[in-house]
Amino acid sequence: MALLAEVQKDYGRLKNFVNGEWVESTSSKDIDIENPATGDIIGKCPASTADETKAAIEAAQEAWMAWRETPPITRARVFFRLKDLLEQEFENIARIMVQEQGKTIDEARGETRRTIENVEVAAGIPSLMMGYGLEDGAASGIDEDAVITPLGVFGAICPFNFPAMIPYWFWPYAVASGNTYIIKSSSQVPITQYYLFKAIEKAGFPPGVINLVNGSREVSDMMLDHPDMKGISFVGSTPVARYIYKKCGENGKRVQAQGGAKNSLVVMPDANLARTVPNMLASFFGCAGQRCLAGANLVGVGEISDELIGKFADASKRIKMGYGLEESINMGPVVSAKAKKKILEYIDGAEADGAKILLDGRNAKVQGYEKGHFVGPTVIDGVTPDMKVAQDEIFGPVVSYLRMETLDDAIDFIHKSPFGNAASIYTQSGRHARDFRYKTQCGNIGVNIGIVAAMAYFPFAGYKDSFFGDLHGQGRDAISFFTDRKVVITRWF
Amino acid sequence: MVECEFPECTTFGSVIRFALELEKGAAAVYQELADNPGLSQAAESFRVLSAAHKKREELLEHTRREKLNEMILEPIHEIDSSEYIIETKVPEGVDLKGAAEFASDIEAKSARFYSDSSKVAQSLLAEAARILDRMGKENQANKEKLEAL
Repeated sequence: MALLAEVQKDYGRLKNFVNGEWVESTSSKDIDIENPATGDIIGKCPASTADETKAAIEAAQEAWMAWRETPPITRARVFFRLKDLLEQEFENIARIMVQEQGKTIDEARGETRRTIENVEVAAGIPSLMMGYGLEDGAASGIDEDAVITPLGVFGAICPFNFPAMIPYWFWPYAVASGNTYIIKSSSQVPITQYYLFKAIEKAGFPPGVINLVNGSREVSDMMLDHPDMKGISFVGSTPVARYIYKKCGENGKRVQAQGGAKNSLVVMPDANLARTVPNMLASFFGCAGQRCLAGANLVGVGEISDELIGKFADASKRIKMGYGLEESINMGPVVSAKAKKKILEYIDGAEADGAKILLDGRNAKVQGYEKGHFVGPTVIDGVTPDMKVAQDEIFGPVVSYLRMETLDDAIDFIHKSPFGNAASIYTQSGRHARDFRYKTQCGNIGVNIGIVAAMAYFPFAGYKDSFFGDLHGQGRDAISFFTDRKVVITRWF
Repeated sequence: MVECEFPECTTFGSVIRFALELEKGAAAVYQELADNPGLSQAAESFRVLSAAHKKREELLEHTRREKLNEMILEPIHEIDSSEYIIETKVPEGVDLKGAAEFASDIEAKSARFYSDSSKVAQSLLAEAARILDRMGKENQANKEKLEAL
């Protein structure tokens, strides 16, 4: 089957979008953007300077008051226009994501749909942002109201794994509720946002309301330090999330910082394996394991353990790898040579620790894509809770298989992890499912679902070292994060 | 003759791609039959069928864009795509009976494809499954119409 056409072979040096204009960065430093399947360089991301970031923040601050004064229904209309423009560009957005990130076209189309869904939900801002009031609420003849107000300039520092969607967990809610915004996309995958901003430009947001600054640490540091920045949303690794949380605290900013994960999928003896195994394949190997909701540990409980690992390993062998622009591909490469090296080291380490590599993806090759960063599906049996492959976030298509006696053992194991992003149970028993969702201390719980990805109108939750902050991205949580409550008590003489 | 490229059906996207190729092939075959002076007595029927298949392409594109949920993108192993590949080269000098049989084979294979893929999609994307099931039933109805020609 032929490959779907690439949108462009080379995207050149990306510009920033500041104050409604496309501007070249003056930086002399560029970061290569690589197609992880082919190894081709498909563009350059400028390492924009602190001054360029400052100019974007100042433009956003300047734009804020007029945007705040724009009625919510008028702000919503811009989002309706943006939704239409994104629908028109749907396929191109998805294909660019495949090119720069490596995921499959189905995954990229799914991500594009979720991106648009966040715009759709944010367009409901007149309802989402309503306050509340009470006649005689303070005393007889004295009314009390709470109004929801925006705060100013917010920004997002984004990761490589979901180049389109993750900024949209935040900015549509921030801007719809009357704030202005700065996005710094990952320097590994900046083309998707660059392309999305062409739609943003056409949608008709006033200059300065939404800005894009490409770059690396210098951009992030300015966003974290600048006094006009009211808050930061971040998604990435736990050490960086912890740093950003601390830094924002010191600087008096709001913060929502999502960190790493080590998600367990628990399979009970009564699970329907015919349905369970394919669903788990999507969780462990979807996006080549590079999602914070990916399964990482497979936990077989009781007598099902041997049958489960046999069926799961057999099914894993049938995963078809390749360039994601071929529609029949199940799994693409990992994002970079560096990521691949780290994943292979973990597999080597598991072997050295005495685990058995049941399915070995270390030497995976894809014909025609010899420069691609492919790691094949890897299933490791005989993993024990003390091994690094059971504890650390690997962020690749690697399954650590553990055997447990009881459901409580499995939940105890999950609780020993410093992470608390997601966990799933596969069972036909309502009692087991109820116990699991009640007891398990993770932000996203799946029952017979291995990727617990909250829809746009629900918060993307997370506990422990997987999330630093109080209010999450998406839905009502996002509206609360980007606004404050102002109480007004009124008495007329 | 239209060139169709039928993929392996291992993902949701490739199932929809296969279906799009079926529709493209069927629409082109019916158009060719409609334009054949030797089959003028059934030209209108063939034109209607060609238009219907073109319209179904739009429905499939819509399904791919709107009914896909990345949370349940499970690999698909149950569909052997080679069983559903249609012939799009209309035999030379075909008469009405032969044309109806040729087209009927396309409808029969398409009906089986949609029915089988709907069963697979049922566990993944129930909305998509309903659409595929309905399309299979339309193929079956088309087949019956062709047999009456």
